[in-house]
Amino acid sequence: MREKPFAIEVSNLTKSFGNLIAVDSVSFNVGSGEFFGFLGPNGAGKTTLIRMLTTLLKPTKGSAIVASHDVEREPAAVRNSIGVVPQAMTSDMDLTGWENMDIYGRFYGIPKKQRRERIVYLLETVGLSARAHDLVATYSGGMRRRLEIARVLVHRPAILFLDEPTLGLDPQSRRVVWEFIQKSRGEDSLTIFLTTHYMDEAEALCDRVAIIDYGRIIAIGSPDELKSQIPGNDIIILTTKGIPPDIEPKTKAIPYVHNVKIEGDTIRVYVDNGAQNVADLIEEVKIIGVSIEAVEIHRQSLEDVFIHYTGRSIREEEAKKVSFLVGAGVPSKLR
Amino acid sequence: MKAIAVIDRDLRKFRRNPVIIAMSVIMPIVYLIILGNSFQGKIKGIPLAVVNYDSGQYARRLMDNLRAVEAGPKTFFIINLDNQKAAVDGVRGGRYKGALIIPPDFTKRIILTTRPEVGLFTDNTDAISSGALNEAVSGALREITSRYTPIRENPSEVYLRSEDLYRTVDYDQSLVPGVVIMAIFMGTMITGVFNLVMDRFLGVDESYLLTPLTKGDIVTGLVVSGLFITTLLALIVFVLGVLITGIPLSGGIGQCGAIFMVIILTTLGLLSMMFIFLGRANHPRIVGIFSGFMNVILFFPSGAVYPIASFPGWLKTFARINPEAYAVDALKALIFKGVRFHAIAGDITFLTLFTLITMTIAIMTFKRTL
Repeated sequence: MREKPFAIEVSNLTKSFGNLIAVDSVSFNVGSGEFFGFLGPNGAGKTTLIRMLTTLLKPTKGSAIVASHDVEREPAAVRNSIGVVPQAMTSDMDLTGWENMDIYGRFYGIPKKQRRERIVYLLETVGLSARAHDLVATYSGGMRRRLEIARVLVHRPAILFLDEPTLGLDPQSRRVVWEFIQKSRGEDSLTIFLTTHYMDEAEALCDRVAIIDYGRIIAIGSPDELKSQIPGNDIIILTTKGIPPDIEPKTKAIPYVHNVKIEGDTIRVYVDNGAQNVADLIEEVKIIGVSIEAVEIHRQSLEDVFIHYTGRSIREEEAKKVSFLVGAGVPSKLR
Repeated sequence: MKAIAVIDRDLRKFRRNPVIIAMSVIMPIVYLIILGNSFQGKIKGIPLAVVNYDSGQYARRLMDNLRAVEAGPKTFFIINLDNQKAAVDGVRGGRYKGALIIPPDFTKRIILTTRPEVGLFTDNTDAISSGALNEAVSGALREITSRYTPIRENPSEVYLRSEDLYRTVDYDQSLVPGVVIMAIFMGTMITGVFNLVMDRFLGVDESYLLTPLTKGDIVTGLVVSGLFITTLLALIVFVLGVLITGIPLSGGIGQCGAIFMVIILTTLGLLSMMFIFLGRANHPRIVGIFSGFMNVILFFPSGAVYPIASFPGWLKTFARINPEAYAVDALKALIFKGVRFHAIAGDITFLTLFTLITMTIAIMTFKRTL
């Protein structure tokens, strides 16, 4: 029996903008029905990758098959099979919620009756029925985002691409968006490709995640697999008053310590059995000459995995391109 | 047809922005009123100081002639002064545009035929007023030495008999075809590709570039919605122009239908042309600058304000490829000469070819990726 084809197959995909390589020889597959997360700091190449997979940008090298169609050779077929929620808000402010959905459905040639039924259902699901005939300009950010996610499901796509869908939303709206995505996934056997830099979002939703930095995939697997790959299951975070230069090698020399990361006045120590070893670790570190202000223990999260691989919590972003002719104001298309 | 959804989207958005449509109607009408009244065909009401030192018969006759100009064509109005210095100082001070000095020996010199003279001091920095004064005063002088009116016509003298083929067209009426074309231009700058530029600026374009809409659907949809709005604008401006300037339209449905056709063809041509130039622009500021630039280079060499025949060679060559020149020519023929299809066949052919070529290039060059 033939195996179920992958929903997304990416091979050596590369995108350069002049000298800048935004996505560098990326290869991975996403199984049909899988919820796949793409994590990376700002400017890591997430949006460029999603734009190549959704036919908005032509790859410089490599290939991508999305819903069994090549993104370069059969872009129309790819577009018919996918639903994409871009990072920026893209609903029309001068149209009502209903009109936004209806016109979108007509772009896909969905017959009127089916369109109407589907829109009623989707608006109900995202809790916008009562505001359906209000202009989108009157919606809050969370409402607009919910509308946009509902809108790309009008034509029942096989694959849903979400580019940082909860960026800038309040916790309540984020939760509603999560629930809606999970519900839609269950009902329509959707494959979902999500980019985010909210680690809790990826951990809660994704079957597998890939971590991308500087345009390259540096880790891929289920959240549990990724966590288990990092030595030391728990982390003891020590907040200190100043850090002596030789703290790292001295702490690493302690038998149960697997790794040490220093960020400003914070020392993240990756250890086995954190609860048992914390008292001993504090003593050892005091002997080295560190004055401790606060101690925190927690089980390793995806965020720890992320920081383990990407190194720093804060990333200097590449300078955005500004036109010499018309100045600022043009939304960046490069990332 | 998915393009219909593109049209519907665009028209709904326009319906909710009526201010921009109102402004596009007001602008050409203001242009018609201001240009029609400030750029009058004949110069009127120039202040002329007159100092008459002569009480002889020819000086009186000259004064009569000047008063006849003041009462008739109204080229100037006379301010009588008794002092040459005050009159010339008045010109220098900007109170008068000219000072006419009739010397005390004016009549005497005419009778003795010893080169009679009058002096005309003009503010020659205002070339138009100065020229008009010179011409009007020369005309008044020409008549004064005719001692009698010939009883019989001279059979050997050649007379020019001027026959107008069409009814008289006032200056402000002659501007109406131009302002209709201007309304079309305005319309094409606020619809069609402008909406694409705005979508791109706001980042909304991604949402429909991600759908199965083809290049043809997007370009056709935006052009057709632009055509609808622009045609409406042009018709409103045309009707207001006709009412304000009092053009009698006697050609009935045929004339109106032909005018409608020229408006549609011109709109389609300009909308498609704008798509070629601005199809990849991503900031409304670019459209603003481009709009001002294009208005000057398309409108003034179109023959809407001044006849193309009087242009220098290089500008005439440009006018030959300027779609607005063909549109103005066709509208002038239809509005002022009645329905004469053979007279506008060349214009229609050019506008049709122009539209087909620009539309094809617009679709071909439209970039469907970011």
